[in-house]
Amino acid sequence: MPDLDPTSLLVLVPALPLAGAVVTVLLGRLLGRHAHWPALLSIGAAAVVAVSLLVGLAREVLVTESTTHGPAAITAYERIVPLWQWASVSDAYAPAAGTPAAAAGEDLAARAADRPNSLPLTLGVDLRFDPLTAVMLAVITCVGLLVAVYSIGYMHGDPGYPRFFALVAAFVFSMSMLVAASNFLLVYVFWEAVGACSYLLIGFWFSKPEAARAAKKAFLVNRVGDFGLAVAVFLLWMTYGTLNFHDTTLVDTAPLPGILGQLRLADASAVVGGAVGTAICLLLLLAACGKSAQLPLHVWLPDAMEGPTPASALIHAATMVTAGIYLIARCAPLFVGCPGALTAVSVVGATTALVAALIGTMQNDLKRVLAYSTISQLGYMFASLGTGTLLGFTAAIFHLVTHAFFKALLFLGAGSVMHSMGGVIDMRRFGGLRRIMPVTAATFLVGSLALAGVAPFAGFFSKDEILATLHAKGWPDAHGTHGSGHHADGHAGGGSSPYRLASVTPTAAEIAAGRPLPETVGLDALDAPGTWRVLFWMSLVTAGLTAFYTFRAVFMTFTGPTRVPDEAGHHAHESPPVMTLPLVILAVASAVAGWWLFATHLLADFLAKTPSLATPVIAATAAPHAFHWDLAIQGSLAAAFGIVVAAFGHLGRRSDGPQMERFLGPLGTLFANRFYLDQIEAALVVRPLQVLAGLAAAFDRYAIDGLVDFVGRIPVALGAIVRRSQSGLLQRYAVGGALGALLLIAALWWRLTG
Amino acid sequence: MTDFLSPTGFSAASHLVLVIAAPLVGAVVAWLLRARGLPAVRQSAAVTAIVTLALAAWLVLRFLAAPPPPGAAFAAIDAPWLTGGVFDVRLSLGLDGLSLWMFGLSALLSVTAVFVSWQAITDRPVGFYVLLLVLEAAMLGVFAARDVILFYVFFEFTLVPLFFLIGIWGHEERRKAAAKFFVYTLAGSLLTFLGLLVIVLWNASQSGVVTFDIQGLTDSLAAHPLPMSAAGGWLQMVVFLALLAGFAVKVPIVPVHTWLPLAHVEAPTGGSVDLAGVLLKIGIYGFLRFSLPMLPEATAVAAPWLFGLGALGIVYGALVALVQTDLKRLVAYSSVSHMGYVVMGLFALTPVAVEGANLQLVNHGLASAGLFALVGMIYERFHTRSIPNLGGVAAKAPWLAAMFVLFTFSSIGLPGLNGFVGEFMILAGSFQRAWSGVAPAWQTFYLAMSLCGVAGVVLGAWYMLWAVERVLFGPSREPPRGAAQSHAVGHGGHASHGVHGGHVGPGDLAHAGHGHEAPVERCDLAWHEWAALAPLAVFVLWIGLVPATFLAPVSPAVRAAATDSAAAFAARMDALQPPAQVARIP
Repeated sequence: MPDLDPTSLLVLVPALPLAGAVVTVLLGRLLGRHAHWPALLSIGAAAVVAVSLLVGLAREVLVTESTTHGPAAITAYERIVPLWQWASVSDAYAPAAGTPAAAAGEDLAARAADRPNSLPLTLGVDLRFDPLTAVMLAVITCVGLLVAVYSIGYMHGDPGYPRFFALVAAFVFSMSMLVAASNFLLVYVFWEAVGACSYLLIGFWFSKPEAARAAKKAFLVNRVGDFGLAVAVFLLWMTYGTLNFHDTTLVDTAPLPGILGQLRLADASAVVGGAVGTAICLLLLLAACGKSAQLPLHVWLPDAMEGPTPASALIHAATMVTAGIYLIARCAPLFVGCPGALTAVSVVGATTALVAALIGTMQNDLKRVLAYSTISQLGYMFASLGTGTLLGFTAAIFHLVTHAFFKALLFLGAGSVMHSMGGVIDMRRFGGLRRIMPVTAATFLVGSLALAGVAPFAGFFSKDEILATLHAKGWPDAHGTHGSGHHADGHAGGGSSPYRLASVTPTAAEIAAGRPLPETVGLDALDAPGTWRVLFWMSLVTAGLTAFYTFRAVFMTFTGPTRVPDEAGHHAHESPPVMTLPLVILAVASAVAGWWLFATHLLADFLAKTPSLATPVIAATAAPHAFHWDLAIQGSLAAAFGIVVAAFGHLGRRSDGPQMERFLGPLGTLFANRFYLDQIEAALVVRPLQVLAGLAAAFDRYAIDGLVDFVGRIPVALGAIVRRSQSGLLQRYAVGGALGALLLIAALWWRLTG
Repeated sequence: MTDFLSPTGFSAASHLVLVIAAPLVGAVVAWLLRARGLPAVRQSAAVTAIVTLALAAWLVLRFLAAPPPPGAAFAAIDAPWLTGGVFDVRLSLGLDGLSLWMFGLSALLSVTAVFVSWQAITDRPVGFYVLLLVLEAAMLGVFAARDVILFYVFFEFTLVPLFFLIGIWGHEERRKAAAKFFVYTLAGSLLTFLGLLVIVLWNASQSGVVTFDIQGLTDSLAAHPLPMSAAGGWLQMVVFLALLAGFAVKVPIVPVHTWLPLAHVEAPTGGSVDLAGVLLKIGIYGFLRFSLPMLPEATAVAAPWLFGLGALGIVYGALVALVQTDLKRLVAYSSVSHMGYVVMGLFALTPVAVEGANLQLVNHGLASAGLFALVGMIYERFHTRSIPNLGGVAAKAPWLAAMFVLFTFSSIGLPGLNGFVGEFMILAGSFQRAWSGVAPAWQTFYLAMSLCGVAGVVLGAWYMLWAVERVLFGPSREPPRGAAQSHAVGHGGHASHGVHGGHVGPGDLAHAGHGHEAPVERCDLAWHEWAALAPLAVFVLWIGLVPATFLAPVSPAVRAAATDSAAAFAARMDALQPPAQVARIP
């Protein structure tokens, strides 16, 4: 399809699921047991479109590269699809000529027009298509389709069956729009829209108080992140005068460079750094922390497991929670200008990865193990993004893709177990299920191997790249030697590694030519090799812990004597084919995708053509495609160690013993109680606000309204006094009237003479 | 192309008069039908409200087809009224960009007000519907008036029907609420009246022409502004404060808001709908119509304080809402909080913020009217508004719950719905003001207040979603219409039952009563409740998805209203210190 015009087709990817959602809402009751068809067909069609667009674009972009060589090959690809004008508030106050207001206040109005606060707000509903968007769309729609198929079995017989599929389709629509949006406003819009879908899906079984509470918590914690995104959007608008990613041309004016447009990205100094840039990036990071459940805003994700398991798989594992990674990757040019904020991304990510993995080791609820695992793996991606190198960004997206497959697989597997166990998901209450549900067990094992990073499963390769990129930042010299030959970047400075953000710091020649030194902030000191070494070791430890908790779950669930809880009754069985088929497909993807994408390097080369990642600053950090034997061995050893410890503790045993708790003592209590983070945040944020609210209400009632009532009583009291004057004696009134008239005349006299 | 909108022989002016007269005619008809009892009365009221809405919608379309230039009015009609000697009060009506949407909203919400009262009002329905229709005429008149005295007459006239609506058809403390509402707003608006008279007299003394025409005054005052110096007795500031007294109470701006929760809680649902949806907006409309264009220098002085009061009001109202246990009181405090956004946007005095504030008037009108209507529907079903006593409404009335969630999302500014557009524009404009539009001495204050506004977005979600969680979700707490208590116990048993046991949905609960003496009845939206909510929902979506439809036509007028104040503000900030030069990359 060389002549494929994405302009027309791209719109279908979000539009079809939207139509599916609307049809399901309208006809849900009518369709009854068949209510899954609109969602299924529309998401399926969207997946076909998204994949063919991806393939078409990949051919176009990668073929172009193979035919042209040298710097010209580093070109970015983007297409903009404008849909409609959302709002347009044009320039400053300027009264229309000829009106009296214009005549009278001309100079004032002219001064107002001159001021810098005359920013036009022109916002369009514009979609974009570029490699990053293409990859995200394919992942969203493919996982969405598999989850929809699986849900036919899982949600069978639920009274809210149509509602579930309507929400899933609405989510796929929102998420597609989020990654296809081409301005920050639209990103914010769908950032919240996916949050709303998540809210409604977590609270799907709204009669359960825990589900209702978890839904509210998820929305509110996300709102805190949205606060960051909102303020960041405002600051971006102030700073850049537009919210568009792409360059636009206003009517009869010069082109307006978009924030992430090619005009701006060609020149690193056109990206605002310093205090303002860092503030913007930290606010974006806050937003990403909310949506991607990073410390300290991760608390909503484990609770979100109250929702139906397929929703957890789709939204809270594979797609929505990766929106934060998408956002930071998309805003990569903004981040690389602010080394401090960039390093903060890694610090948050690696810390979250470690903390969540530690908590994961002590959870007994299978879905919660996976939830903490998701938080931890997202932390990995953050750690990778924060390195600011091309490899860092592509590795994060690589891990995002592989994680989407294997984590969706694990969640759907857990759902299959839950389905069979009559809703019980506490791993201490069942065991040895591999005999009852062989397909689930086998596919779950594949997913676990991928998650644990065992070669050659998917997670191994993406994790290896993340470790490599962190390692390169911590030990730049070691990598500088074997990474310098490939790329032809001029100003990388003598001896410094290609991983260094060479072009952010101007060279002596550039300073002489008038390029100013970038403004720095205190946070930038964080970007030191020492920091990166710590982060690398944290990530390596996390790799071991990941393998441990994953296989602890595998062993507890699928090995040992077969035990089934009472709730399952006599019908503990393998799930129907409609549920196991998606498991098998995802298992195949988890097994081969990593190896294939790594060996061919297709994904990384493709992503490098995204405008945000093709900027000179980031492109300059391109490293040769290499397999790092040393790191692979370290990572594999960590994983092997984790699996061995898990096997030692749990393989073939009854799974209800408190082995780990005994072994770890007080630390175990700390982990099992999730570091008491929920309680700490409740005590530090929620409680004080509630107290403040109580005080405000009391103040409102007694102080403000009390004062009003007091004032209200004054006329009554006065009336009681004045009443005495109402004696009914006519002459008194006459005298009073005369006095009043005199007073008026006196006042007039005084006014006229004085 | 749009000729069919304006048939010959039906001038826009007579069309406008017809729209305002229609509810009054309907009121007479309803009164004549009093002997036929409740059904006839409410049907005639519904027909009147719908016909008025249709006529108003048609008029709005005519406006959009041929929008008037700034400073001129559409469908202008002008006749002598109280005219003698130099005194020239005129019956002058017309629409412009400032009034267009509020005029339309008044007609829209009146339909909602009638339909939410359908079942609720059985006691003395004639009086109720007559007053409701008179109130509609008064609301339409306020926004169409182009004469100061006529405006004030309509302005006060909105008080009277609502006073009786609250005082007679309200809840337990209705008398106290009605009295407080009436006295509080009247006291404020008398000062407003004095202020308006001073404007007229000042203008007469300067230009030699006694005019009560609002546009004429605005134009004339641009040449002869009220004195804003010690020599002139700070007359402009004094007049500004006098107008503020009435408008601030009406909005209401914290701290003169305490009449509002009481009035709302006690008012019948129909009254609440009109009160929250339209009457609060008259205060903001007054600022836009009088204070900003006529008193720009005083507005510039007061703007930072009102901006701050608006921002603090957002947080304050949200915090107080957070601890309310009466659902209606919670929604009332959410109104206090949300009107803070409008005040904030108005006095940020940037184009984006002011236009956002103007749109937010409509948005809040839709969302709060919808929420009050829904609270009324919940009260009719369960006879309580106490949040702790409610629960699991979604199981019994799924569509009611869905609408509640929709209007909640609109209220908390979920993108794609209308509330977001206004909030976003107001906050963007506020940040713009804070970033590069104030003297450095004010910058920290403005930034802090803007951040308060954004924090309100988080708090707003908190109390609304808490209410949604407690009222709509969870196990059923209050059985509808005296159904046996045993059902609640029956549902409780589901919670612990794993996946399929856990799939407690509407169907389960509906069936939970089988085998008992009476099944838990579904009590979802009736047709008249749909009629009340559906039109609002349409606009909630429309404004959210294509706000340009609603922003563009009124933009010139809103812009013109704020221009002089913005310029005066800029001059004042320049006088304080040269404008901050913030690095901006084009």
